Amino acid sequence: MTVDQISPVADRPGGGRAAPSDAGRASAARRPRVSMTARRHRAFYLFTSPWIIGFLLLTVAPMVYALWLSFTTFDGISPNWKYVGLGNYRELLNDPVTWDALGRAGLFAITSVPLSIIAGLALAVLVNRPVKARGLFRTLLYLPAVVPPVGAGLAFKLLFDPNSGATNGVMTFLGFEAIGWLADPYVRYVLLMTVLWGAGNVMIISLAGLQDVPRELHEAARIDGASAWRTFRSITVPLLSPVLLFQTVTGMIASVQTIMPLLLAPLGDTSGVTTVPQSNYLYMMHVFAQYFALGRYGYASALLWVLFVLILIATGLIFKFTSGVVFYNVDPEAKK
Amino acid sequence: MRPQAGAPLSRRRFLALSGGGAVAGAAALSGCALQVSSGVSGSGETVTVMVNSGDILPEQVQQAKQALGIKIALVKYDITKLIAMLTSGNPPDLVRGVGAVDLPYFAARDVAEELDPYFARSGVLKLDDLDPVNDLWRFDGRTQGKGPRYGMAKDFSQDSMFWYNTAAFDKGGVDYPPETEPVTYEEWLESAKRLVQRKSGQTTVFGGSFNGLTRSTLLATMTASAGGSLFNDDFSRVDFTTPEARKALAWYIDYCRTKVGPSQIQPDPNGWDGPTYQAGRLGMSNSGYWLGGMIYPDKKLAAVSRLAPAPIFAGGERISACQGGTGLWMPRGAKNKDAAWRVFEWFFGEEPAKARASGGWGIPSLKSLRPLMPAQEDYQKRVLKVQENELKHFSVVSFTPYTRADAIDALFNQIAPAAMNGQISVDTLAGRLNSAINEQMKRGKEQVG
Repeated sequence: MTVDQISPVADRPGGGRAAPSDAGRASAARRPRVSMTARRHRAFYLFTSPWIIGFLLLTVAPMVYALWLSFTTFDGISPNWKYVGLGNYRELLNDPVTWDALGRAGLFAITSVPLSIIAGLALAVLVNRPVKARGLFRTLLYLPAVVPPVGAGLAFKLLFDPNSGATNGVMTFLGFEAIGWLADPYVRYVLLMTVLWGAGNVMIISLAGLQDVPRELHEAARIDGASAWRTFRSITVPLLSPVLLFQTVTGMIASVQTIMPLLLAPLGDTSGVTTVPQSNYLYMMHVFAQYFALGRYGYASALLWVLFVLILIATGLIFKFTSGVVFYNVDPEAKK
Repeated sequence: MRPQAGAPLSRRRFLALSGGGAVAGAAALSGCALQVSSGVSGSGETVTVMVNSGDILPEQVQQAKQALGIKIALVKYDITKLIAMLTSGNPPDLVRGVGAVDLPYFAARDVAEELDPYFARSGVLKLDDLDPVNDLWRFDGRTQGKGPRYGMAKDFSQDSMFWYNTAAFDKGGVDYPPETEPVTYEEWLESAKRLVQRKSGQTTVFGGSFNGLTRSTLLATMTASAGGSLFNDDFSRVDFTTPEARKALAWYIDYCRTKVGPSQIQPDPNGWDGPTYQAGRLGMSNSGYWLGGMIYPDKKLAAVSRLAPAPIFAGGERISACQGGTGLWMPRGAKNKDAAWRVFEWFFGEEPAKARASGGWGIPSLKSLRPLMPAQEDYQKRVLKVQENELKHFSVVSFTPYTRADAIDALFNQIAPAAMNGQISVDTLAGRLNSAINEQMKRGKEQVG
């Protein structure tokens, strides 16, 4: 292929290019002309194909497989599994443990998501101020979010161990009675504290959003005599609302899928999932127990598909109810 | 219409091509997986062994290569991975398993290879040299302990025995348990209550631990000790309401409720007794002979540690079962059975077996290796004497093939805390356990056929 053939100049109307040679004309006749748009499409698909293939292999295929499993009694190795149609879904509807676990997961999401967003936003506001060693504070506050959840879970477990943990050590030193932090009813508070452990993630994203708020708006508000709180409420929060919406949606999805209760449980093995105290026995614990402790692959897959649909619905509802309050800071003329 | 070459790739066409690519990728991945136990690797054969880290050490892998000319490829034991490998028809050649509970489950599902023909022609593993514990690896289609052999224990302990710390007993002014005659479960609990030390609501020293290897094997063994059986005749149901099973259940719930030792409602952060016992924070540890492997290297600890027989119920039969019998089994679909059997012989009868026997981490599963058990120090001789006496009371407590022990434990863990916390009675608990566990076993029976 000659440079002429692939040059964008060749496609330009009235491109003023030199007359092609006979050989060039013959070659051009043989090969179809590749338009700029086609090449753009090809490049797009070429660059996205690793992700698309991965998505199909590692997300769509397992989901379809799980959907198929959800119509069976398959347990992994037993020879006589059978199709039960919607049997697993019917059982699920009548399983009080499932509904209790789902209720707890919902309650956890409703509590933990606002908690982490408020904590993260507060930290972001603090480290956005022009204080000394700001970079150090940002690093220190973000550091816990870098710790893997397994490490964080084990650290919390040791910290809150009723007999040898530092928390009770301090309490008894101060003359208080020790508390059974890792058992009901206190373990739910320990779980919420693990949420704050990851607030650094929210802080970093909120910080990026805060730095995108035009400074002149704050200056104008100050000139108009607005208080700091009023400025925050009427300027900062509306401009941050897309970021907050993003964090609400991703936080909700992450919170209903959290494995932290298992990491705080007495036994972290397959049968140990049911040693998770009742108040921390969230929906994913139930799924985990059905899959790996009881070997009920079919029923567990049905549980997962129901969760998937519920997450879709919850996400849709969040978008619907926030559509009037989320402010997208874009130029309306930009599309024209 | 055939798309024109050079025309923009439509989304539909692209997704179709990606789907094709994904299928091809999956096939390629599957092809890679198939090579795991192809059986041939360079100069020698390769045997894939799925074990826990520490079961076969890297230097033993090298040793096997030199001694047998066989390369051992180690795969970390993971039940989920094992099931995936079995399902895909690509299992390891040898797999770790807990004889007491895993064998009936896998054998009933026809995924384990019968090893009788291999034993019959083996010059290393002779049938008359096998310790009775290896009967845990036999299953006749209905009952464990009878029928063909499917595996072998690497070593074992009688898991209802317990170690005790004489220093803790001295401090608590409690008489030492006798070393030849068993105490009753009631006496054990009484001692634990006197040994436990608490301060400001914290337990600084646990009186004793008694949790068995798993809750299901513990309760099955205790029920047998009380003179009954946790399972019905065809092992398709449990019954916690029989007098014997109820007695076992009530004792265990009492143990948990009084918080004299680690339990689900008062977990030990170490996850097992070893470090707690070593730190002098545990008066009695329900661990069999194998804990000696940890105790012996610590001379100070060894000097105050003694082993005692398995407790009995007052008036009950004296039995002392093995709740583990961890060893190896060969999947029916193993690709390289002859080489796998050679590794099996080496692991159970040659250098690794001798190293295990002299380490004190368990009783060897071959009688001929018993002289290698540690007996140089006085405390080792003392322990060995207790253990030898206890072997006379060894018995196999059969387990159900219809569900994994993990499943029974999971259901127990879910239901029992209410009783441990005093919110429901033992009778209510027994009824709830029957209902949940029998439902699980019914599903298992349907699937086994």
